[in-house]
Amino acid sequence: MRRAMAEAEVGDDVYDEDPTVRVLQDRVADLFGKEAALFCPTGSMANVLALGSLVGPGQEVLCEARAHVLRAELGAHGALTGLTSRTWSHPRGQLDLAAIEDMYAPDMGPFFVRTTAVAVENTHNFAGGTVVPVEDLRALRAWADSVGIGVHTDGARIWNAHVATGTPLKEYGTLTDSLAVCLSKGLGAPVGSLMVGSRDEVEEARVRRKRLGGGMRQVGILAAAGLHALDHHVERLAEDHEHARLLAEACGVDPAGVETNLVVVDVPDAVDVVRRAADAGVRVGAVGPQRVRLLTHLDVSRADAESAASILAGVLGATA
Amino acid sequence: MVARVVDLRSDTVTKPNQAMRSAMAAAIVDDDVLGFDPTAQKLEMEVASIMHKDAALFVPSGTMANLISVMVHCEVRGSEVILGDNSHIHVYENGGISTIGGIHAKTLPNNVDGTMDIEKIVKAIRGTDGELYYPTTRLICLENTHANCGGRCLSVEYIDKVGAVAKEYGIKLHIDGARIFNASVALGVPVHRLVQEADSVSVCLSKGLGAPVGSVIVGSKDFITKAKRLRKTLGGGMRQVGVLCAAAYVALRDNVPKLSDDHRRAKILAEGLQKVEHFSVDLSSVDSNMVFFDIKETSKISPDRLCEVLQERGVLAMPASSTSVRLVLHYQISASDIQFSLTCIKGVVEQILTDGTKNGVIEQNMLSVSQTVTV
Repeated sequence: MRRAMAEAEVGDDVYDEDPTVRVLQDRVADLFGKEAALFCPTGSMANVLALGSLVGPGQEVLCEARAHVLRAELGAHGALTGLTSRTWSHPRGQLDLAAIEDMYAPDMGPFFVRTTAVAVENTHNFAGGTVVPVEDLRALRAWADSVGIGVHTDGARIWNAHVATGTPLKEYGTLTDSLAVCLSKGLGAPVGSLMVGSRDEVEEARVRRKRLGGGMRQVGILAAAGLHALDHHVERLAEDHEHARLLAEACGVDPAGVETNLVVVDVPDAVDVVRRAADAGVRVGAVGPQRVRLLTHLDVSRADAESAASILAGVLGATA
Repeated sequence: MVARVVDLRSDTVTKPNQAMRSAMAAAIVDDDVLGFDPTAQKLEMEVASIMHKDAALFVPSGTMANLISVMVHCEVRGSEVILGDNSHIHVYENGGISTIGGIHAKTLPNNVDGTMDIEKIVKAIRGTDGELYYPTTRLICLENTHANCGGRCLSVEYIDKVGAVAKEYGIKLHIDGARIFNASVALGVPVHRLVQEADSVSVCLSKGLGAPVGSVIVGSKDFITKAKRLRKTLGGGMRQVGVLCAAAYVALRDNVPKLSDDHRRAKILAEGLQKVEHFSVDLSSVDSNMVFFDIKETSKISPDRLCEVLQERGVLAMPASSTSVRLVLHYQISASDIQFSLTCIKGVVEQILTDGTKNGVIEQNMLSVSQTVTV
């Protein structure tokens, strides 16, 4: 990946002249069966741009209660896009079509906020890296089409869903209007996400990206890493999923419930667990006062996973 | 098919050199959002140190650097910022400070030298007498070098004066220093002295200094802490960003002295253009790495047409207005490139004028004929 970055052909992407990022954008668009894609510095920006093309100021998006776009993007969608949201709750971060249909607000005239999109997160981060089943996505698409609203997929970890279920990326693409997909997570690139959608949406998003300050120059350096990641790091995500199940077992979490590379562990004191684990050489994160999160990725080998598993078993055993 | 291309559209087109590519390939990186990337930290500390400010933050672009700076200084809603009507922030940043930041812009005319009149600045600061009706002035922005005015340098005396006004009225001063190193080199003033009175500065690494991506904001620790949070909100919190910072570090380390060559070549280019009878160039206004030239009779040669035909010959330039063209130099433009460009420009002028006699005038005649017919 470093060699690819070092050798990358570059140009000024603000002038749309960086050949490598153009290749990446075309490639990613094609992978999802979409018309276009736009490289962004972060998943947060890709989500803001994508949702912003479906939901305007004073309009509403429906999301799951612990959706990353609502919980961990610093309120950007409200603060910058001016949208509002309502949520349904699901213990595993899945769609609840009955709840969505119930909440859905059509255009009822000038006094009511109307729903213009549903955002689905696949895999769902805070619910434990859970996969949204493609049948549910199909049902959502059919319903959204029937009422004429949009669907956005926060697909930061869509690759994990794809590898875990075998659902083709193109199918995920057909079932959504826009996507935000990440190259810098499990795929291992240093930086970057892409907004994926129609040609018009992406062209318009380019201007909003510039306004936010996301218009970078010789960005092919980063795009080259992304291309390398797509070439070499997708299928191996299956190993991360195996390692996650290994870790889950050691932490007393049922591995059958671990679908991808993420394990959520309930503990008496998350801060305490994080500290003890760090002292013992394992870095994990607290996502709540009593919840710890672990993720596996390509820089965690099988041996690393096994050693971390026994360390964590000790830490958790001691604090139980 | 043109083999040689001389790109004079901007200094943003600079490509990373071998030293940068090697540095990027070898960079030690980690997750900068979690606060671990050592290369990002190294760059930020270096820029802060050079600027004599307490802290710094790497961001994807100059636009984001300015947006964050203005928004942090004007974080209380109902703020107003004083800036030049020809400033980059006002003209070329998609109105972001207002659209995204909710900040009211009070523009003052930029003089040809890039300054705004000090008396006008003082007059523009909102008084407390109008508290019920006025937004609150919280910030003044200066731009050094000033791009649209021709890469003009603001003197340290002028900046100090504006800084004094800001302090007197309890408001902040931000300098859009995308090309602050050009100003420093051109004026022979250390960059930290130039920005001494500023509360914050945005510095570009991706322009004349040649890095592929990025700008750095400098300011107080408190300011940068807020800037960091806003950077994440805007979507600029990149991960293993040390890759980019490594190149930026090389740019800073190696390429500042080269700027004086760009300035020297800009003068040579300007002198060459002045000899073309159809152009007028104010040589005294060529302070740094930019040359703006006016076309005397745009009915014969329009900036668009000039740039279009120039491109066919392999020279890329940018129309600056309906009557002028902008050329920007950087270290990847050699002295021979300058001579080549001048030759091409002269050739293109001749070509357009010759074509014009054949095509332009005939087209005009045809136009009047068709008009007569339809009437």
